[in-house]
Amino acid sequence: VYQVFESVAKKYDVMNDSMTLGIHRVWKDILVHKMNPSPGTVLLDVAGGTGDIAFRFINYVRSVRERQLQQKLKRHQNLSWQEISESYREDKFKSLGDSQVVVCDINKEMLKVGKQKAQHLGYSEGLSWVLGNAEELPFDDDKFDVYTIAFGIRNVTRIDLALEEAYRVLKPGGRFLCLEFSHVSNPLLSRLYDLYSFQVIPVLGEVIAGDWKSYQYLVESIRRFPPQEELKAMIEDAGFLKVDYQNLNLGIVAIHSGFKL
Amino acid sequence: SVVRCQLYSPQRALQVSAVLRRVSDEQKKEPLASSSQQQFDSHPTNHQPEQEPQGPRPSYTGQGGQESEDYESEEQLQHRILTAALEFVPEHGWTAEAIAEGAKTLGLSVAAAGMFHSDGSELILHFVSQCNTKLSELLEQEQKLVQLGKAEKKPTDQFLRDAVEARLRMLIPYIEKWPQAVSILLLPHNIPSSLNLLTSMIDDIWQYAGDQSTDFNWYTRRAVLTGIYNTTELVMMQDSSPDFEETWRFLENRVADAMNMGNAANQVQSTGEAVVQGLMGAAVTIKNLAGLNQRR
Repeated sequence: VYQVFESVAKKYDVMNDSMTLGIHRVWKDILVHKMNPSPGTVLLDVAGGTGDIAFRFINYVRSVRERQLQQKLKRHQNLSWQEISESYREDKFKSLGDSQVVVCDINKEMLKVGKQKAQHLGYSEGLSWVLGNAEELPFDDDKFDVYTIAFGIRNVTRIDLALEEAYRVLKPGGRFLCLEFSHVSNPLLSRLYDLYSFQVIPVLGEVIAGDWKSYQYLVESIRRFPPQEELKAMIEDAGFLKVDYQNLNLGIVAIHSGFKL
Repeated sequence: SVVRCQLYSPQRALQVSAVLRRVSDEQKKEPLASSSQQQFDSHPTNHQPEQEPQGPRPSYTGQGGQESEDYESEEQLQHRILTAALEFVPEHGWTAEAIAEGAKTLGLSVAAAGMFHSDGSELILHFVSQCNTKLSELLEQEQKLVQLGKAEKKPTDQFLRDAVEARLRMLIPYIEKWPQAVSILLLPHNIPSSLNLLTSMIDDIWQYAGDQSTDFNWYTRRAVLTGIYNTTELVMMQDSSPDFEETWRFLENRVADAMNMGNAANQVQSTGEAVVQGLMGAAVTIKNLAGLNQRR
């Protein structure tokens, strides 16, 4: 698995766009919207490599924070200019409102690409990059408000261990969110999807990234991955409650959610 | 996988109970009546997770303390979070933010607010349900006093006035954000629940009123009192008089009107239409009110 990602790291984003025809961006947007993070949330994004979820999280929290500040100002209509300028100054330093995101990935190359992207796009505060293994996270217990793993869990050898680690590092009340390819039950769509996956994607892999094998592996790993209900049961086994899933695009992708209660 | 289940579930039960029980320890008094008395539909998700039994789990003296008596269900924890969230409504409105703050006070992560719909529906329904329960308890106590001979039985119009006033007074701490709440309750996906809560509250009041007069039939009574309640609520939201005295005066007049209506022969038919019109007018007014608040 490690070598697969070493070779695909640089072309990862481009391949994602071409494989999913850009829809993966929508899927990730939906994930962050579902999370609906409030300012002050601490997020752990595992297998987050190139930072897609982290950046979206930061944007979301920033806009929520802006709206909060606007509403606060609307209420303080009788302040003197002095007081208003003071409140501007103190709030400017907290444009994220104490929110933080830690991006954890097992692969150095993916993290490197992510850091470069962050610099390029201008993301600096509230962001940290940690090398780590989802089955054995280098974090203490009860640390994070939200744990996300987007298109990463199918690459984990022991999914149950990863789920247990997720449970461990989440605070009580914390949320587990998993975005992953899943099973399409609709037979017509399923056939089209199989056709696309096995015929088109490895070809794209060869053409864009010069790597047929890795993308064939990708497609096969998707087929081997447990379907929605089974993953839900595994998440419950790790101790999460109120476990639920939402199918996107009829099951091509599913978002699983659980709470540590 | 059967073996696996056995291995994991004691672990899970212990892990789970460690968190949930801890939460329930912090606040010993749990208003169970509120969760079991008024039923409302929870936010429909794509696939329902396994339904937890409502109310306390059956207690059995198991070894190892796996299932202990004060094991709290998810439902109860959710109610606890929503109750804690009410404190933050005056500042944040009926929103996911208020729920997040509520969760924080219970020692939970703000992410726990993700268990609820982001428009604050459950918070509002929870509040309404709680108020209705409080009202029932109040009326029950009054009835006991009357039965014990310690109080006089009130005439119907007085009874209705006092009951509606008591119920509406519960809105006072939240009155600024109440128009927002009403507009959310009128959303299509909430109407079944909110209507259900409203009608059971109205029925409750009539039940305790113990009105033996045959002037009204059952449906008319419900419609009339619903109309009185809704219109008074509307007036209250626009009332700026000290202690809402104008609202109570309005209420007095409406109840008096209703009592006089009992003498008219054709009130049964016209009441239905009048109530529908009243509700439509109420909906428009509330939309305007909510719009007013936003523009400000």
